[in-house]
Amino acid sequence: MIVCEGLGKSYKHGGRRKQVLANINFSVGPGDRLGLLGRNGAGKSTLIRLLGGVEMPSEGRVRRDMTMSWPLALDGGFQGSLTGYDNARFIARIYGREFADIRAFIEDFTELGRQLSNPMKTYSSGMRARLAFGLSLAIEFDCYLIDEVIAVGDANFQRKCQFELFERRADRAIIIASHSTEQVRSVCKSALVLDGGRGVLYDDVEAAIAAYEQL
Amino acid sequence: MSALSEGWRIQTRVIGALMIRELNTRFGRDNIGFLWICAEPMLFAGLVGLVWSFIRGPEENGIGIVAFIGSGYIPLTFFRSAVGRSNKVVEANSGLMYHRQIKMLDFVFTRVFIEMIGAMMAYVFFAGALGLVGLFPIPANPGILIAGFLLYALFTLSVCLILAPLSELSEVIEKLLPVTTYIMIPFSGTFQLNSWLSPSVRAVELWSPPANAMEIMRLGLFGDKVHPYYDLSSTLAISAVLMMIGLIMSRRMRRDIVVA
Repeated sequence: MIVCEGLGKSYKHGGRRKQVLANINFSVGPGDRLGLLGRNGAGKSTLIRLLGGVEMPSEGRVRRDMTMSWPLALDGGFQGSLTGYDNARFIARIYGREFADIRAFIEDFTELGRQLSNPMKTYSSGMRARLAFGLSLAIEFDCYLIDEVIAVGDANFQRKCQFELFERRADRAIIIASHSTEQVRSVCKSALVLDGGRGVLYDDVEAAIAAYEQL
Repeated sequence: MSALSEGWRIQTRVIGALMIRELNTRFGRDNIGFLWICAEPMLFAGLVGLVWSFIRGPEENGIGIVAFIGSGYIPLTFFRSAVGRSNKVVEANSGLMYHRQIKMLDFVFTRVFIEMIGAMMAYVFFAGALGLVGLFPIPANPGILIAGFLLYALFTLSVCLILAPLSELSEVIEKLLPVTTYIMIPFSGTFQLNSWLSPSVRAVELWSPPANAMEIMRLGLFGDKVHPYYDLSSTLAISAVLMMIGLIMSRRMRRDIVVA
């Protein structure tokens, strides 16, 4: 289970504190798929970072009883000056995996070919997303944190995600922040709508999407 | 207890991975790669030693001047580069904070450790090369020499642990660093032995951890030619206090880090 208890985050800004999230509560178990909906700046990415332990909450806490991926987002997690292979080696090392085991999977999943030997700063956002997903799937987590990033991939990549993540790993928990109501509708079983720092949890995705579209 | 050993296992794994990554990004894989890390301290030590031997002659108080300067300057370059590399270390690595198991302290440990290994290799090469032509003595007591070096490294680490969070909080620190490390030279033991000083100056030096550690290194290197004055307990105590302050600052700062 991943449990959020009274989670809040505020940032100091010019001597003033800005409350981005306040008193967020929910839990996610194996096989659950939670969508995070909200307008730009509503705190979706911030919540993903708190869940992933990238930033620390100002109030409340996150309890993690299962393994959780790092936030799969447009940036972060990689070093641009290193090649795709070197980044993969680094990630394999810090997660205690053998690079040899992971290599074949990412070569097949990313279809990046010789690009994997080039520095990651030369990658497009879609290519970065492929590698990030490939690595996190090869490492195998119980819960995947996804911040918008599927949307940057092409149709082929989306098909692969659909198969590898949503079908083959249907027992895993997924928390996904997205602007695409279409994606949330097809992937998620429940959704949290963020507005003004507060979160409202809907067990019915259609109701959540209706509330989001009212914002 | 098992949580502690699990944490230890993860952090050693992370630091190992960070070191390999750091060496790759800094020196690449081609050529002599990370041997370059030795080049700078050796050049410094060699050239400064040469200048001093022109000014002061080949020996001072029965100690070869090139060996004396080299044995002081290599640890000093270690301190300076470790301090320089701790500046804004979190900002430089913040993309990696996406991986929860990588802690702020790992960045500091990694960089100090790499600089330390570089300085040790530079010391060995320098001593070996000059030793062949009789300008560097065989260490009288290698154990004491290494103990002194480790003490010097402990102090360096404790300073870096404070500097890493401090440099994130204030832009001024970055500007003050070069002048501070320069001002520090008289208190680093690099160019003197405590027995050469007047008792009142020596009393001040005995409060300086790097001067004490340097004195111990010189004792290990030159043996009987040195009449050592050092204060081990103040060195350990000051380093421990600095380290505690650094750890507390890092912990408090972690809460407010905004990862780009």
